[in-house]
Amino acid sequence: MLCVAAGTILLVRFAPGFFADEREMDAKYAATARNEMQAAGTQTLSEIAVREVKGWVHGDFGESRQYEVPVTELIAPRIQVSAWLLLRGIFYGWLLALCAALPVSAVRKGGALWGLPFTLLLAMPTAALATACILAEMGGPVLVLALLIAAREFKFLRSALRGTWSSPHMLQGRAQGLPLQALIRVHILPGVAPQLYALATLSVVTALGALVPIEVIFNVPGVGQLAWAAVMNRDLPVLVAVSLLMAFAIGVAGMLSGQKQTLEAAA
Amino acid sequence: MRRRVAAGILLALIVVSLLAVWTSKYGYAYQDREMAMVPATAQHWTGTDELGRDRTVRVAAALLIGLGGAAAAAAITTAIAAVVGLLAAFSPAPVAGVLMFVSDVFLSLPWLFLLMMARSLLPLTASPMQMAVITFLVLAALGWPACARAIYSGARTLRSAEWVIQGYASGLRTRQLVRLHIVPHLRPLLLPQFLICVPAFIVAEANLGALGLGIGEPVPSWGSMLMELDNSALLAQSHWVYLPIILLVVVLLLLESFTSEETHA
Repeated sequence: MLCVAAGTILLVRFAPGFFADEREMDAKYAATARNEMQAAGTQTLSEIAVREVKGWVHGDFGESRQYEVPVTELIAPRIQVSAWLLLRGIFYGWLLALCAALPVSAVRKGGALWGLPFTLLLAMPTAALATACILAEMGGPVLVLALLIAAREFKFLRSALRGTWSSPHMLQGRAQGLPLQALIRVHILPGVAPQLYALATLSVVTALGALVPIEVIFNVPGVGQLAWAAVMNRDLPVLVAVSLLMAFAIGVAGMLSGQKQTLEAAA
Repeated sequence: MRRRVAAGILLALIVVSLLAVWTSKYGYAYQDREMAMVPATAQHWTGTDELGRDRTVRVAAALLIGLGGAAAAAAITTAIAAVVGLLAAFSPAPVAGVLMFVSDVFLSLPWLFLLMMARSLLPLTASPMQMAVITFLVLAALGWPACARAIYSGARTLRSAEWVIQGYASGLRTRQLVRLHIVPHLRPLLLPQFLICVPAFIVAEANLGALGLGIGEPVPSWGSMLMELDNSALLAQSHWVYLPIILLVVVLLLLESFTSEETHA
């Protein structure tokens, strides 16, 4: 987390555009922007780092350059919006991918044809998918996120499940006439559980990456939209806070997945 | 077989795009204000955009720039990944630890967010062509960590192979071993990494462009062409507005077929 924060500060401070502000192009704000940039230009790296750390110690992550309010005030209400969007998107995405991968992995022929919709979805950039949804006046951010997650996970799930379907114990179970539901619940899903946990972490990374274009295009007031605004305005305190938040989310997801795998292995 | 068909179609698309750009009397930036937002005509086969620019030429140029830029960026990123991965695999444990830690730090942030951040921090005063180069360089500079981990893992496996130990025993230096033996053995790993990066970079450029952080106007790109879909007046005028997105999906599907076949191989 500290490395991510340090990396973000370094990246922003030494970026060639650190001394540029888009407001300079607007005659109304040009003078203010120029003054702010001149003041920012005199700051050393250690001064910026100290100011950031002070913000963390104070508990407000510093003051946003563009909105001139504490960063926590900006982020707190947006976390809930983004978290809810992420949870629903990942849940529906997994549900869709699992529901499609289970039967498709069982069929011997025509698997590629059944997987075609997911291949098509995979070839659609997130922004294009979101724009297509708006144009079709159908669905919203949750649908786009779910489709994106489903497209990414379908292939992995299909190949993981395909191996399980043809394993000897499954053939034996099927030969003995075990009901399909029992086969899936007792034999298939526990068999692919370790891969599913690893995939879950990847889903979080995918979803977080897709959050920005989805929230920007659908105008969802979440962390992704805030990150985009901060990026456009070179708002360092907000950028550092959002980077930390994203690294934390990915770290926690990875840790939980690792923990779960260890527990499964021990059991 | 599938790969050959995909390569043939892709090559045909590139040739047609080159012909469209070279033979057209309109440049991609040429504005014919009296012909703005016209549907398909004999002069403009797929109509024009809101500034009266020929859509065929712009889409063809976007395809060439997107594909060329992504391929160049993928080559650079694969080279960086190979250097980092090999350096980590054949260095003492602390150096390898540091290098892999750096790649982990990069991987702990969503790629698009990292790209967006890096791309937005670049100067505002660069020319559109410079912006295009910068965009693809940023993609190349940030795309290596995942590839580097894969190459590191592959190179570590090779390091303990008997023929490598034999090479060391015969007096070969690490640099010679890497250049003459390890890199050729890693080729089956490097090629898929390159092929995975090309469509990933095209998608990333399109996403960045749609967020207003891609290649700047008037240079055409997938991202800027996708932004046309926001223009409801243009959508009502002509269905050719959908051409870039259809072509983008086709190109990505063709590249995907390359990747999947190479990965399976």
